[in-house]
Amino acid sequence: MIVEIKNLKKIYADRTVVNIPELQINEGETIGLVGNNGAGKTTLFRMLLDLIRPNEGGIFSKEQNVSTTDDWKNYTASFLDENFLIDYLTPEEYFIFIGSLHNMSRNDVEQYLQRYLEFFNGEILDSGKYIRDFSKGNQNKIGIAAALMQNPELLILDEPFANLDPTTQIRLKTLVKGLRTTHKVTTIISSHDLNHVTDVCERIILLEKGVVIKDIQTTENTLKELETYFSE
Amino acid sequence: MLNTFLGHQWKSFFRSRGKGTNIAVQIVMGLLILYLLVCALAVGFFMDKILHQVYPDRNVTEVFNGMILYYFALEFLSRMQLQELPTIAIVPYLHLRIAKRKLVNFLNVRALFSAFNIIPVFVFFPFIIFNIFPTYGTFAGIMYLISVLSLAFFNNYLALYVKRLSISSARFVIIGFSVLIALALLEYFKVFSIAAVSNWVFSQVAHQPVIAFVFPLLAFAIFNINARYLRNNLYMEELSAGEGKKTSTDYPFLDRFGDAGTLAALEIKLILRNKRSKSTVSKGLLFIFYGFLLYNKKYLETNDFNMMLFAAIFMTGNMVLLYGQFMFGWQSAEFDGMLANKVSIRNFFRAKLLLFNLSSTVLTLIVSLYGFISWKILVIQFAAYLYSMGIAPILVMYFATYSYKAIDLKKGSSFNWQGVGATSMLMSLPIFLAPYLFFLPFSLNGKPFWGLAALGVAGLICFLTRNFWIGVLVKAFNNRKYKIAEGFREK
Repeated sequence: MIVEIKNLKKIYADRTVVNIPELQINEGETIGLVGNNGAGKTTLFRMLLDLIRPNEGGIFSKEQNVSTTDDWKNYTASFLDENFLIDYLTPEEYFIFIGSLHNMSRNDVEQYLQRYLEFFNGEILDSGKYIRDFSKGNQNKIGIAAALMQNPELLILDEPFANLDPTTQIRLKTLVKGLRTTHKVTTIISSHDLNHVTDVCERIILLEKGVVIKDIQTTENTLKELETYFSE
Repeated sequence: MLNTFLGHQWKSFFRSRGKGTNIAVQIVMGLLILYLLVCALAVGFFMDKILHQVYPDRNVTEVFNGMILYYFALEFLSRMQLQELPTIAIVPYLHLRIAKRKLVNFLNVRALFSAFNIIPVFVFFPFIIFNIFPTYGTFAGIMYLISVLSLAFFNNYLALYVKRLSISSARFVIIGFSVLIALALLEYFKVFSIAAVSNWVFSQVAHQPVIAFVFPLLAFAIFNINARYLRNNLYMEELSAGEGKKTSTDYPFLDRFGDAGTLAALEIKLILRNKRSKSTVSKGLLFIFYGFLLYNKKYLETNDFNMMLFAAIFMTGNMVLLYGQFMFGWQSAEFDGMLANKVSIRNFFRAKLLLFNLSSTVLTLIVSLYGFISWKILVIQFAAYLYSMGIAPILVMYFATYSYKAIDLKKGSSFNWQGVGATSMLMSLPIFLAPYLFFLPFSLNGKPFWGLAALGVAGLICFLTRNFWIGVLVKAFNNRKYKIAEGFREK
């Protein structure tokens, strides 16, 4: 077990947006978080990353409360939105900065980036632009690549497929599946694309109004099941 | 159509986000502008008396004539720094069924709504009406009025045009001020004189009023150039900054400071690559001329250091104050990322402190040139330097943990109150007052040098124990980090 959620509650103006009494996430699992807008996915992610404070309960990463220590930062990589990027840097500078936080040398970073040339599709590196001048999809790619580069044990991505072109969506799926088999990475991703999420994830958690409605292992029937749920 | 546009502008101003909280600031700004206008009016009405007071042995009209071009030269530089380009506002209209000509007209009319265009009317018109009309006749008087108005319009559109050509105006302003100072020096040494040129031009106007038609022609010409430029460049990407190829840069010098150095390098890039931070810092550099105002012979002879200490603190520590007051606000766009990444807050503070110390050191070295006036100034500045190294940054950073306002780095800094809250305004007070806690007990007892020594020692002690103070700051920050992050998310 790598992440454990206990009695977690987040309340905004008398409205409970997240209410999870108990949830456990095991090492090496790939988890898909689905739910309509306002289901509490991003709020949950933010609490997991200690960006907002829960009103009750807490999230424990490797048995330590994320809001009391910084140890989880050593093995957790995340990309939620553009607010995670430093938009006045070039992509190279950003990668080198993120690398330096994990004691990667400039060479390490450059070597790492070689592996993602295909993912970048020739648009990111040597572009002569600051991150703020890229399209949303390309900003997404930069954020995802920077997260993967940190070689995390726990990877958190909020709607990684959004804004990506079809080719990159497929490449990203292959990448995430690869992480599970080669590195034993625990991955939590949220998505509105049920096809992708059932394809990539072994376990699906369905949130509605902050409450876990379904928590299922993926089978060939899962996609149908989710589609029926959401079409009601 | 023009009215619709102006209506939309009006709405965008009154419905802008954060207006509710900033309403007090708006009122203060309004009062400030009103105050300026009243001052301008007063100067205008008493112009002849003022000129007579300053130059008792010279012809008042001659001095007035000499002043006009000087005024507009200075005004041009101020416009470059302060006047906003009204461009972004039209982006939502570009794809609609609206003729380009109308958009351009709107931009040009919109540009006239500026206090800069009223002030010269207030300053110059009364004198012209009461002095020029009776002396030189109605025709000459009217031509004077037309000239002044035309010069204001000329400046208005020239400033906008130059600004559009070179968006980075900060460098331009510094060069402009240097040119102006050079001209003032030339005038002082009687080599060359704008005043003489100005006087010559306007005495020609007085005797041959027809010549003054040159001014409206010039204004009309620059108006047309500006309009044509706009018409040809009315595209989203061309209205903003010119795009050159961006390259990655390094500051190897900072590597020796470890992780804090990396973060400091990041922040230097932030400063250089964003409009708001760049203009804040470049404006701070102008304050090194403060000494010319406040260092004076009488104070130096009597060892009355109060005012001079203020100037010294402001000059050695102005980056700490002007830049530091927004502290995390500069990082508001990527703050979530900073928190979620493996960045230790301790290093974050250390990086800020490192930058503050570097800036104070550089500024102190520059203002050491004032030492040519008197050695006492060097002593004062050194005490102020130690204060700016040890105490001021800690105070600024502590108060900054109470500020939850995000900053949009793309906007300029002049009259930009975004991110300015009550805390950041009140904050400057203790920072200016704190040094006197150390200084006054001694100086009031007739030992001003001991006061400076006390201030310096206190600063040095704080500087040497900075790791302890950073610990205090980290604790203060951790108590409020969720609130800060939340504030930054609502832009």
